[in-house]
Amino acid sequence: MKSVFFTIVFKELKSFMRSAALVAVVLYSFTIDIYVAGEGIDIEPRNVAVGYVDNSSGGISKKILSNLHSPEFVAPVQFLSQKELSNAIYNKEIMVGLVFDNDFEKLYREKKNTQLNVLLDATSASQGFTTLMYLQSILFSFEDIQIPLDLKIHKLFNQNSDNKSFMALSELLSLITMLVVILTAIVFVKEKEDGTWDIMLLMPIDAKLTILAKTLSQVIIVMGGVILSLGFVIFNIFDTPMNGSFWSFIFLTFLYTFSSAGIGLFVAAIAKDVMQVAQFSIVIMIPLIFLSGAWTPIYTMYPFFQVLSFFSPLRYYIEGSESIFYRGTSFVDLYPYYFGVVILGFILYIIGFKKIGRLF
Amino acid sequence: MADFYPVDALHVSGVSVGYKDKIAISDVSFEAKSGEIIGFIGADGAGKSSLMQAIAGIVRFSGEISYLQHKYHSPKEAEKIKIHTGFMPQGIGLVLYDTLTVDEHLRFFADLRDLKKDAAFLAYKKQLLHMSGLSAFAERQAMNLSGGMMQKLSLICALLHRPKLLILDEPTTGVDPLSRLELWEILRNIAKEEGTIILVSTAYMQEASKMDRVMLFHNSKVIASGTSAELIDSIRPYVYEKSLADNDENSISFDKVIYSLDSLNLSLHEPTLEGLFFVNALKERKKIANFAIKSREDDEVIPEVVMECHGVSKKFGAFVANEKIDMQLKKGEILGLLGANGAGKTTFIKMLLGLYSIDEGKLTLLGQSIKSGKDRQELKSKIGYVSQHFALYKDMSVKENLLYFASMHRIEKKTALSRIALYAKELGFEEYLGSFANELPLGVNQRFSIAAALLHEPLVLFLDEPTSGVDTLARAQFWQILQKLKEVWGISILITTHYMSEAQFCDRVVLLKNGQKVADDTVSNLYERFPKAKDFEDIFLEFYKEKA
Repeated sequence: MKSVFFTIVFKELKSFMRSAALVAVVLYSFTIDIYVAGEGIDIEPRNVAVGYVDNSSGGISKKILSNLHSPEFVAPVQFLSQKELSNAIYNKEIMVGLVFDNDFEKLYREKKNTQLNVLLDATSASQGFTTLMYLQSILFSFEDIQIPLDLKIHKLFNQNSDNKSFMALSELLSLITMLVVILTAIVFVKEKEDGTWDIMLLMPIDAKLTILAKTLSQVIIVMGGVILSLGFVIFNIFDTPMNGSFWSFIFLTFLYTFSSAGIGLFVAAIAKDVMQVAQFSIVIMIPLIFLSGAWTPIYTMYPFFQVLSFFSPLRYYIEGSESIFYRGTSFVDLYPYYFGVVILGFILYIIGFKKIGRLF
Repeated sequence: MADFYPVDALHVSGVSVGYKDKIAISDVSFEAKSGEIIGFIGADGAGKSSLMQAIAGIVRFSGEISYLQHKYHSPKEAEKIKIHTGFMPQGIGLVLYDTLTVDEHLRFFADLRDLKKDAAFLAYKKQLLHMSGLSAFAERQAMNLSGGMMQKLSLICALLHRPKLLILDEPTTGVDPLSRLELWEILRNIAKEEGTIILVSTAYMQEASKMDRVMLFHNSKVIASGTSAELIDSIRPYVYEKSLADNDENSISFDKVIYSLDSLNLSLHEPTLEGLFFVNALKERKKIANFAIKSREDDEVIPEVVMECHGVSKKFGAFVANEKIDMQLKKGEILGLLGANGAGKTTFIKMLLGLYSIDEGKLTLLGQSIKSGKDRQELKSKIGYVSQHFALYKDMSVKENLLYFASMHRIEKKTALSRIALYAKELGFEEYLGSFANELPLGVNQRFSIAAALLHEPLVLFLDEPTSGVDTLARAQFWQILQKLKEVWGISILITTHYMSEAQFCDRVVLLKNGQKVADDTVSNLYERFPKAKDFEDIFLEFYKEKA
């Protein structure tokens, strides 16, 4: 019994290693893709293009503008009229436009209610609004307002406010989901395509054993990829902290990959060829990933979707993993996440297992 | 009427086609005159299709082809002649669209060719429909046509623009005998009335007599060409009646015939076209291996009746694939399940194996009544199966494949290795043990597939079209192996084939037509029933006509 099980597992691993295309996809996903996600997706302002129209005499305005420097801003560009500035914003050449009216300096010097006009391209929403906050704090410090209140900030879990390691980790967790689903489905669908499906069915082997062995082989491949990614990208390049236990993350990942494999089995049961695997996987996975809180916090979602998100195993996996990495939650206190992953995973795997089992 | 000016002749000189490092066909030259039907005969991969594609101007080739005084050396240069050519690729209904009706197809292909739909065209369309017997089905969708009708429709679609050069790649393969006869009737009319040059390839030797000239293809070469009668005459001195005496080293014996280049002290036998392949093998000094099968290691008792079914039916939606079939497979019997593509052969085998559920009817396998999947689990180790197209794991070597199958059947590695070594030697694929399954020649693939099915020493073998596309020699070897297996192991074999001529190697044959059993008898009984029949093709034609 055991030997048959491992023969199937080894056979699938061997097949995988011999398929150059699949190996390349997996290696790329777990290294370069995660690196790009971490480096490339940035919500902090970087190289923001600022334009201005200065109708004032130019003393105060120059001082304000001198605060807009790299790396957040590129050197401000002067425009001769507000119309020109508007056009530049319309053409996406400028993101933030400042208009200094001709009575700007006079009013300021007289300490009257002074107004600085800001034109903002709100299509680059998050960058634009963060830029606005920057501007406000520049003006505040410039003004040197004396109020007897000060903020003393203690940054928890992510002391450097490092966004990159966060994005890279989110990407890794979503990627695990995608790859397990697709790889598991492909293992079965390839047999359908090559016509070996019938031969597989005619082996005097319990269908459960075959399905389990085939899933395990793909789980092993993805776990290998996860370790690779952790070592080379997550820890080495992005220097992500690991405040909790490494092994409890690995264990959670293992449980989670099995539950995603259940979705893979479901896809394998309904897909006729590898092309359809790709199509079905995306249709099923995208809502699951969006509902998980990987890209937007769950508390900002519409209430109905917040309820739905309880049914995404990825939600528990992401929350659990972030707790392990950043908060350093101990193994015992991780039980809600383990429960979420195990219960949903079990249900998904059984559904997938039943669905593909019917073909045996 | 046909005119015989060399102007419209086709000249092919020194044409070779290669893909990467493989040569598909090398150095072929021939000429064809207006109104001639030239037949290409040979196995899959022998180079027929490649040559056709070169002439049709679809693939790159070296050498020169000239037609209608236009010389071409590449697909680009061939563009000019394409308005005069019609091409029908291999595969049943490949050029058709499932949801279009017969009439819509004709209009669609006419539009593609930019034909004027004037009175003359409509008259010709009507004539084509009439000739193909499809007039009554003009409004039927392609997916509801039989294989034979699909091929006839594909053919008349290729004829719409009245091509002067018609290239047909295996239009009759897998089609029922009656439709094949009708297809040939159409071709002959077209050649005669339109003066069209027709190049047609086929897997059936029997069709050679319907061609003006035959070219035999083997291993990327044309090994002989001439009229069917000329070719048969050319090997007359080498074909002898089989005797019990040991035959000498330089001969091949198969069925009732011995082929030898040396003169033997035996009476001559009437040669067949297939004999040319054997004689060619002798000339190339190739030996047809003599297979020895050792007796099996275990001594399982095989029941007298291995498989029995009553009233077995299978439906796919409204389509009835098998209707109330009764069949019995006895111990030590080779039962041939014959029929055209779509007759229900594969569906039937898949029901026996449990790959399809049985909608209706009773099935007993190896003495055990089959009611659910559980009843089968235990039987799986007693059944050997070779699927259509020899499906095996492509990314593993022959040896790895065999070892994998062995371990699936829980055969100890030591035993498995010794059996693999034995079969590799006996069935002659030793040199290929390290190759990947998709690199093997089809004939080797076939023998290796049967080895995979034999590893666990089954009591019964189910073989689904194991000879399709395989060359004459390999097919002969394959039937020898089956005979030996039957004699030495005493196992039963159920084999499906669309080559009617292979019926003669079976103990008993069952003929399926549109999902129904139309004949079930021993070979000799059938010959007695139809004394006028020259061969099995004729016998089955009778059945098709009878019930049509």
